[in-house]
Amino acid sequence: MLSRLAGFERPRLRRPDGYRRTGRLGASERRAGILFSLPVVVLTGALLFLPIIQTFYYSLTEWNGIRATWVGLDNYRSLVSDPVFWRVVLNNLFLLLSIPFAILIPLFVAFLLHQHVLGWRVFRSIYFLPTAISWVVIGMVAVRVFAARGILNDLIGALGLDVRTDLLTNEYTAMLAVSLTFIWSVFGTNTIIFITGMATLDRDVYEAARVDGAGSFAIFRDITIPLLMRFIQFAFILTLITGFTALFSLIFVMTTGGPGYGTTTLEFFVYQKAFAQGVFGYAAAIGVVLFSIVFAISLAQQRLLRSRED
Amino acid sequence: MAALRRRLSRGLMFAILSAVAIVMLYPFAFMAITSLQSYRQYLNRSGYSLDSWFQLAEVLPVAQQLLNSTIVTVSAVAVILLVSAMGGFAFAKLRYPGRSLVLLAIVGGMMIPLQSIIIPEFVNIAQVGLINHFQGTIMVYAALGAPFATFLMTTYFRGVPSELIEASIIDGASYAQIFRRVMLPLATPALVTVAVLQFIQIWDDLLIGLLFLQTPDVRTITVGLATLQSSRIIDVPVLMAGSLVSAMPAVIVYLIFQRYLIAGLTMGMSK
Repeated sequence: MLSRLAGFERPRLRRPDGYRRTGRLGASERRAGILFSLPVVVLTGALLFLPIIQTFYYSLTEWNGIRATWVGLDNYRSLVSDPVFWRVVLNNLFLLLSIPFAILIPLFVAFLLHQHVLGWRVFRSIYFLPTAISWVVIGMVAVRVFAARGILNDLIGALGLDVRTDLLTNEYTAMLAVSLTFIWSVFGTNTIIFITGMATLDRDVYEAARVDGAGSFAIFRDITIPLLMRFIQFAFILTLITGFTALFSLIFVMTTGGPGYGTTTLEFFVYQKAFAQGVFGYAAAIGVVLFSIVFAISLAQQRLLRSRED
Repeated sequence: MAALRRRLSRGLMFAILSAVAIVMLYPFAFMAITSLQSYRQYLNRSGYSLDSWFQLAEVLPVAQQLLNSTIVTVSAVAVILLVSAMGGFAFAKLRYPGRSLVLLAIVGGMMIPLQSIIIPEFVNIAQVGLINHFQGTIMVYAALGAPFATFLMTTYFRGVPSELIEASIIDGASYAQIFRRVMLPLATPALVTVAVLQFIQIWDDLLIGLLFLQTPDVRTITVGLATLQSSRIIDVPVLMAGSLVSAMPAVIVYLIFQRYLIAGLTMGMSK
């Protein structure tokens, strides 16, 4: 995305029609350009870019919100020797495990939708509906689903199984409940991405494959998936970034990071350290780690996209 | 025989899609049904009443917080539309030195996670005395939404032929006039897409509202609901009634403007 934008902007000395803007006209265009882009530059500069620079600076200080003392890399040193930090990183890695499910289930369902069975438009609307719901509301319901007296146990009971679950009260299973909720929440968005992708595929290829006697599953595996790689990659990155940066509210409502540190992810750790414990400098260092991860993921995506374009 | 197989497989597909639909709709049904029970009825799993709705009105200033949410969300969306449309026009159609670099930086702003900036942001806003004031919160939401919105608007304006602008200049129109009378009307679909995406995102947000609007009288409904659960033990039906109320506006916007949401998602992907 970024590379494309930059590529588009390569300076062209002369426009195709040979019309060059110089002199008075060019000057007024320049002035208008600067004036029109000024509001968004000021807004993002003051409230997005300034604070990210501050985060980097304050991560090198001991800071209580008022007074900051320079401590160099001390915060980072304590971070890597903090077992809680590694526990939190582990939780983030655990979230990664849910991504294959968050991709494959929507992919399969999108394939079914794409067959345009009766009522597929209605199904599509229903699947996309959670996109409009806040994580807070999703979390509220999820707690009732996974509770000891909850819906999940009712379902298990209805199946005649004599097993009882209580995922949220155990430090080592609570993350599973969060992950399942996460998969449920991104299902709709990913399904829409894939069905949009499938709509761009050439019908003739399918016809040809069918004439050659390929079955539905063979078509799905050998034609649909390879042709959809660009969309799968987009969904993958979007799900990954959502998992790392958008689950604060869900965790806040479902578990507040617990039991213990069982569901504290990096983004929640920032909040806990800063606003519950007041160690702003330390929390800023975690913020830098989170930023670096997201930045690396985005760069990797750029590289992938570029290699595909060549 | 082939026809029969086809009908069978279609039937199977329909069954699977229906099952998935039930899983996706279940929470809504649960919210609606549970909110119509008192706590006792919920525990006994029988009987219906409006008790929980009355109780919700007692523990949460619902109308006030819905109004707060509306003020904050609508204002932030308005700011985002204004700056992203102006910026998009400049980045797509007006040439001036440094523009590609500025655009690259702003679009790069999409990569900044909220949690990575939230601490200095909070301290800065506190320092200018805007905690518990809508203005601060509105501007923070606007700044967070601006990069993606600007990206969408720039992409959209690039598709508008430059000849339109050149013709208007020859007719003696200023750039401000061109923006208002030519570009903005043409960009209506993109503006609606941006508005819908941002409305839902801001309405549903918790963290910023939680930190920047701390007293119950200025809280948004999403924050009010989240703090309801954490502040004291409250019964499930009341929480479900609150969930339903807080979710409704965004769901209605979704149902009306679904098409634009999907367009926004695919626009983000195609570049």
